[in-house]
Amino acid sequence: MTAPTIPGTDDPAWLAARRADASGRLDDLAMPSERDEIWRYLDLDFDPAFDSAPSQPGTVASPDELAEAWTGKIVSVIDGFVTDAGVSTVISASEPTDDGVGTDLFATAYDALAPGAVLIDGDHLGEKVFVDVQSTGAATTFPGVHVEVPAGSEASVVVRFRSASDVPAVVVPRLTANVGDNARLALTVIQDWNYQTRAMGRAVVNLGRDSGLTLSEVGLGAKIGRLHLDVNFIGHGSWAKIYGVYFGEDDQTLDYRYFMNHIGTNTRSDMFLKGAVEDDALSVFTGMIRIETTGVKTEAFQTNRNLILSSGASAQSVPNLEILANDVKCGHGSSVGPLDEDQRYYLMSRGLTPDVADRLQVRGFFEESISQIPHADLRPWIRERINMKYITAQEEGRV
Amino acid sequence: MSNALEVTNLKASIGDLEILRGVDLTVPFGEVHAVMGPNGSGKSTLCHALMGKSDYETSGDALVDGVDIMGMTVDERARAGLFEAFQYPTEIPGVTLNDLTEAMAASNPDDDGYAARESATTKTLSMNPFRERFVNVGLSGGEKKRSEMYLLGVAKPKMAILDEIDSGLDIDAVREVAAMVEAMRSDDMGILIITHYSRILRYMDVDKVHVMVNGRIVQSGGPEVAEELESGGYTELQAANAR
Ligand SMILES: Nc1ncnc2c1ncn2[C@@H]1O[C@H](COP(=O)(O)OP(=O)(O)O)[C@@H](O)[C@H]1O
Ligand SMILES: [Mg+2]
Repeated sequence: MTAPTIPGTDDPAWLAARRADASGRLDDLAMPSERDEIWRYLDLDFDPAFDSAPSQPGTVASPDELAEAWTGKIVSVIDGFVTDAGVSTVISASEPTDDGVGTDLFATAYDALAPGAVLIDGDHLGEKVFVDVQSTGAATTFPGVHVEVPAGSEASVVVRFRSASDVPAVVVPRLTANVGDNARLALTVIQDWNYQTRAMGRAVVNLGRDSGLTLSEVGLGAKIGRLHLDVNFIGHGSWAKIYGVYFGEDDQTLDYRYFMNHIGTNTRSDMFLKGAVEDDALSVFTGMIRIETTGVKTEAFQTNRNLILSSGASAQSVPNLEILANDVKCGHGSSVGPLDEDQRYYLMSRGLTPDVADRLQVRGFFEESISQIPHADLRPWIRERINMKYITAQEEGRV
Repeated sequence: MSNALEVTNLKASIGDLEILRGVDLTVPFGEVHAVMGPNGSGKSTLCHALMGKSDYETSGDALVDGVDIMGMTVDERARAGLFEAFQYPTEIPGVTLNDLTEAMAASNPDDDGYAARESATTKTLSMNPFRERFVNVGLSGGEKKRSEMYLLGVAKPKMAILDEIDSGLDIDAVREVAAMVEAMRSDDMGILIITHYSRILRYMDVDKVHVMVNGRIVQSGGPEVAEELESGGYTELQAANAR
């Protein structure tokens, strides 16, 4: 299907019903409160401008360099509209099971207003899929990606978010995935929004028996770049490895709320996030490991390390545990601090100027995470982008 | 002709604690000297004060090949020809030894000998398996020392200070390190071995031995000084040179 999907045309019945239901509730919903833990630290004093949602995709200013270098399948989602669904039907024909995204303002707005989601399913698993999600104007848009990995198969998906420069946009992305029994999903999400974009991302991944998810999230910028992620370890023996890399600058807020919900037995989660903030940027990571009474023999670990590179920058790193089962193994590590003085001294003693020593240290800091991004061919580009951010901050005297 | 290192009345303190209380020390080019001393006498502080670590307040003079280094930053001292092999080499996660030597070469654009020294030292120290590993991360004690010796070979300084390059090593490894140091000896470099034990000195020829106690050099002489210490220990010297 190549034509844009306009809400209301050719929609399956379940979708029309969901839209109607959500539209009915939307008007009564207020902006979430920053007093609510899940929204804490965010500046929500902005107009979500849902009535600005476009009825058709805008024009893309520049091609994407990553997409151009991509050797697999490419799909474009422009202003929420799937404009090139080379991969698949736009909307699942059957009603999705309750995907647990919640009923807050943004989730409800998505349900009411999203034109449709890219569906990547069993027909498209032979090749890597690159979803190029763009926001072209000063409007609020609702891009969606749903991945359905059938039992025993493997999927490899990159979702790259970006917005046209200098336009204030609000984006409410939704990413959902069902990974079947014994299936694998490798997913890389790149948030590369402009400085004025507020992206309120929501993601839910359901894992079947003995299935595995490798997810990496790369935060390269946004006014607010949020990802609220739930991974549901429903099947016994399911596992997830989650890597994060983020670099905040200017007055950006990069906001990650990750929930690992261990329901099956013998499941395992590993979260490993590394980030840096400079200038007036703020990063937030709250990692919740929740082990249900049924989740015996769960192993769950989280690590979040943050570099504070300027005095105006800050990072919140909040690990949480909620353990209702016996016989589990959990661990967490979290740190927030400046560059390491001993490393700087050692590197300088080898003849490196302080600037070069710090660059090397920053590069090394991120390497531990970048080297784990499942899509190896994206690593050089990500490494370059992150390191250039730091070098620019050095050259402009902010760090 | 100037010396590789010439230190005059070097003092170093942290807050109220005066650690070096006036050190005088000269190492001519081509010679290997040793500084021996008990734990806590200030040996590592001497290294760090010369290297310019910011923890210490210092006074006094230090010349490398006749150039005063005391006003310089750490990296300037390194580029002026001073090298410190660390007693506890710092781990640099995510940065390979190759990354580091590349950056060292780029920091010294006037010296075009890096590539040649790198391949030569890689061979002599069998460093190939380590070049793609992160600097000092997960290395055994002996491997860390070897890595420091490798960087010394790559940097080819005018003055090398090796801080307890022998500590924590078994006797075979000590012999190996001694041989590496002997192999590095050259007419355009001075070498200072800092050690707690005389063990390593048995496997190499040192020109002079200096004894440090309580932040001062209290005795200097030929290799026989080390032998005397081996039998007598530091106790007497410590009593005689109490603060
Ligand atoms: N950074 C420091 N902070 C506080 N005390 C220090 C520091 N560095 C050295 N010292 C003190 O100075 C003395 C000499 O230490 P050091 O130079 O490491 O001795 P050595 O290397 O001979 O064992 C010791 O008493 C040590 O505790
Ligand atoms: Mg010492």
